[in-house]
Amino acid sequence: MNTKIATVGLALVLFEAELHGQEWMDRAEQRLGIKSANGLFQSQLSGLFDLEGYYVDQRPPGLLFEDESFVNPRLTFFLDSKLGPHFYSFVQARLDRGFDPGEKDFDARLDEYLLRWTPGDSSVLNLQVGKFATVVGSWVQRHDSWQNPLITAPLPYENLTPLSDGDVPDSAAELLAWRRLPDNKDEWLPIIWGPVYATGGSVFGTYEKFDYAFELKNAGISSHPYAWGLSDTPWRYPTFSGRLGVRPSPAWNHGLSFSIGPYLSSDAASSLPPGRNIGDYNQLTLDYDVSYSHRHLQLWGEVFLSRFEVPNVGNADVAAYYLEARYKLTTALYAAARWNQELFGTIQDGTGGRDPWGNDMYRIDLALGYRFTRHVRAKLQYSFGHRTAHLQQGEQLAAAQVTVKF
Amino acid sequence: MKRRFVIKSLCIALLLAGNTGRGQAVIEGKVTLPRPEPVISPPPRYAGQVGEIAPPDPPVAVVYLEGEFPPAPTNHIHGTNEVLQLGMQFHPAVLPIQVNTAVEFPNRDDFYHNVFSYSKPKRFDLGRYRKDDRPPPVEIFDKPGVVKLYCEIHQHMRGVILVLDTPYFTRTQTNGLYRLENLPAGNYRLKAWIDDRHAYEKPVTLEPDKVLHVDFGTNPG
Repeated sequence: MNTKIATVGLALVLFEAELHGQEWMDRAEQRLGIKSANGLFQSQLSGLFDLEGYYVDQRPPGLLFEDESFVNPRLTFFLDSKLGPHFYSFVQARLDRGFDPGEKDFDARLDEYLLRWTPGDSSVLNLQVGKFATVVGSWVQRHDSWQNPLITAPLPYENLTPLSDGDVPDSAAELLAWRRLPDNKDEWLPIIWGPVYATGGSVFGTYEKFDYAFELKNAGISSHPYAWGLSDTPWRYPTFSGRLGVRPSPAWNHGLSFSIGPYLSSDAASSLPPGRNIGDYNQLTLDYDVSYSHRHLQLWGEVFLSRFEVPNVGNADVAAYYLEARYKLTTALYAAARWNQELFGTIQDGTGGRDPWGNDMYRIDLALGYRFTRHVRAKLQYSFGHRTAHLQQGEQLAAAQVTVKF
Repeated sequence: MKRRFVIKSLCIALLLAGNTGRGQAVIEGKVTLPRPEPVISPPPRYAGQVGEIAPPDPPVAVVYLEGEFPPAPTNHIHGTNEVLQLGMQFHPAVLPIQVNTAVEFPNRDDFYHNVFSYSKPKRFDLGRYRKDDRPPPVEIFDKPGVVKLYCEIHQHMRGVILVLDTPYFTRTQTNGLYRLENLPAGNYRLKAWIDDRHAYEKPVTLEPDKVLHVDFGTNPG
């Protein structure tokens, strides 16, 4: 019923946008901002309304939680506030069906809230505390539905490995057996879980062509969204991450990120070998990101190398990368494509041999996007993915998304 | 052949000089402008996004004369204007041009901009281009109306190109003062445009060699 109401509402918005242009939405956007007379305090409310539909031929891949085709509405509010030149706060609140599509019937959350202090007059040094997106990688900066040319995230940000944060394998053989199971989305971990809105503090800044960012967070980059809140994960075993970036020209952007921290939750503590605690088992990750853009072409790429220190097993390594392109065919229409691959390292199988601990996978994502106005955009995506396993999961995915930005 | 061309050119120049030298009217006055309001321009949300935002241009009005004028030759390009991107702002923020004028969009910042418009008189998207890209992107505006400019990368950026079906227009100073010269005698409508919500209009009668004083206040015409 809610979906039908959302669909009708969206159809009315599209009709209105096409009928009266973007004038009234421009005015609405202006009216959602307040400021003091001298401009010292400014606050701007904005938002996105997304209506997505997913058609899958098997159990859905990645971080889609429904077992069949489904519709997923999402309403996101952003509140940007500034007090003078030195203080800034940001809040992102969402009403949807869970952080990842189809996870729940209905959910309302504060996904991000932060307070930033910029001591100087330039952006060389910024200090920030709160619950906010990770500094690792480059996809985070374009992860909302308005900036992501496709509908789903790149493979490293959503493909689940057989590793769990709450369940420890008794042996390598058990971990090797897990890879033959269907994805256990409530427990298994990807290399990096979307934008990782974990809680903590960061220091970051830019100086000429260089930028840097370091953060200390309460949860690892592969952790579940339910572990990101201040009260969800204690500060006993923090994760330290960072990124160094350089822009040799406006067209190019290079970044090198790292992250080190525990990936197991407190649920796993009782299953650990005697004398060990969850802080003894880290996820270590390196990521190189690069982007290029000129005129109507934009290219992005990232390579992740991640090592999970697994109790009773040893090191489990995984590599993943993607290459993504977007090209504007006309003023309103663009095409996008993304090639993704994830490759698992081998572990001792207990009989003297070595086996990969996960199922290698490739996936190609293709999309067309159309911008009706400055405030309304629609996307269509088709993905084909394949695992080197008997059990395939969501080989084909078709998705549609309409976004209204206000 | 060359001599005939020179004589012809001289004749045309003399004719034009005769037209603009005498018998033409002037309008001057003041438009009450809204108080400059601080623009809400929050800093980047995420680390790794760059840029320091300069203050936008203060508000100005465009004053122009509408009526029956001798028709201009079709498809004639009335020169070239510029809208710069500097300090993550458009300069000028408001540019009046005559229909069939070309506008260049040079980027003076050290990072990319992506100028676009979805306004009905002109829909375009210039893509991403940098400071040293030559020649700068250019668009010809061939329909009258309000063309709103945005940058896909820097969402606070706002600009307007007011495409006018008249050769007689000017932009006020930031104190609202304006002066329109070399106007033909006759009955016309004088308009002042500040933004979508503030547009004024007054009928005027222009007499040769006379200066008409017209102010636009807070009451829309």
